[in-house]
Amino acid sequence: MSAHDPDRELDALLGEGGGKIGDLYRRLPRYEPPRRLDRAVLGEAARAVHSGKPPRRQRWIVGVGSAAGLVLAAGIAWRIGHDAMSPSEAPATETRRVVPVEPIDEAARAKHEELAQPKTDADAASAPASNAAGEISPRQDTAPQKEIVHKTRASAKPATPPAIAEPPKPAPAPAAAPPPQAFTGAAEQRARAQDDFEKSGKDKLGVSETGAAAADKRAPAAARGVASPTVPSGSIELQRDMQLAPHDWLAHIRQLMQQGRTQQATESLRLFVRSHPDVRVPDDLSPLLD
Amino acid sequence: MGSEKTDEELMLAYAGGDLLAFEMLYRRHRGTLYRFLLRTLRHRADADELFQDTWSRLIAARERYRPDAKFTTWLLQIAHNLIVDRFRRQRPQASDEETEAVFSKLDAPDSDQPERALTEFEQRRRLQLALEDLPDEQREAFLLRIENGLGLEEIAAITGAGRETVKSRLRYALARIRARFAT
Repeated sequence: MSAHDPDRELDALLGEGGGKIGDLYRRLPRYEPPRRLDRAVLGEAARAVHSGKPPRRQRWIVGVGSAAGLVLAAGIAWRIGHDAMSPSEAPATETRRVVPVEPIDEAARAKHEELAQPKTDADAASAPASNAAGEISPRQDTAPQKEIVHKTRASAKPATPPAIAEPPKPAPAPAAAPPPQAFTGAAEQRARAQDDFEKSGKDKLGVSETGAAAADKRAPAAARGVASPTVPSGSIELQRDMQLAPHDWLAHIRQLMQQGRTQQATESLRLFVRSHPDVRVPDDLSPLLD
Repeated sequence: MGSEKTDEELMLAYAGGDLLAFEMLYRRHRGTLYRFLLRTLRHRADADELFQDTWSRLIAARERYRPDAKFTTWLLQIAHNLIVDRFRRQRPQASDEETEAVFSKLDAPDSDQPERALTEFEQRRRLQLALEDLPDEQREAFLLRIENGLGLEEIAAITGAGRETVKSRLRYALARIRARFAT
């Protein structure tokens, strides 16, 4: 290595084989990744393809959760419309609000009695399920929502939840006469679907409402342009962030930081890094990842 | 195997659910990626960790892969971003002392050799030490060229630096390596 011309040396390095340095470099030990890394990477790749599908899961859980919520809400609305809300009955509100309380007690009593008196498996399974899911479920669906709404939003919109809660007037009659098995099955499925949805919503989205209720609340919040401090709006925002082009997404994260919404910005940036691992996180945003 | 599939085709096939395509892709690039990480980070545990992280991120983002850029560029861009994050958190790097210790060991016997005729072993050793001694950005540019065989434009795309900056980094790297051989 003598009489060096830096440009020629650079040309040699950039040329085929990398010149003398390239030759020497190729004689250095050829380190390979250990077997355990091979196993780990190939295992992860296989899991991603066969079962886990981590990148999709996150997106699909949001989608499936929303869809399940909408189906549930539509089902409830349809049931209410069919069974309870005939046009003549619709206007009456105050008196009806008290009525649905009774069937719960009756149902509970009936359930206790059934548990006390041994029956066939089929009877034991169908009666409580029909009570719980067949008629009372609309109230059960909405009751927790009401509680959550009151907890999170205090008295923001007292008018909406009663509108959903009013209909179950005809509850007492079917509670006494057990509905057919098929109905019970559908009701159970619906209840299970709601459970799943609520679980997935709580886990992944932080949403503790049905899609319809969430949509109801979302719309006014968006219209007011108020950044809700609760998690649901954040998860919806994350969904929206994923639709943005990388540059716009980063700009949006900056905007969140400027608004003081650091938590949301951090979550969004983490999602960004997972979605675009090849795009470098700008220095001004990187502290969010620490 | 009549015609070898390109990296880009394999990646697209994997995104479509073809696991064999990934295995082929992995075998093609595992060695170069690992050596690039190991020589850039100069720490085996870090290299192991980032090696796995790089592939994990690639797997997670497989459906977003578009063959606009070369697969190698994409893979190394992911690795580069992880390296930058790591350096940002670790500065100053812990391996400085180790490097100094190795240098002092090397320098002592060298001064005892009047003829300075470097054996092949010594040459390799010096190159390795010279690489370790390079500033991060110069070392990365040098390794992307020499280990991964990338050109100036590709290195610029991966590191986010300009073409001329990359050129200058390579020039400095060569000068430092040469200086190590001249001692």
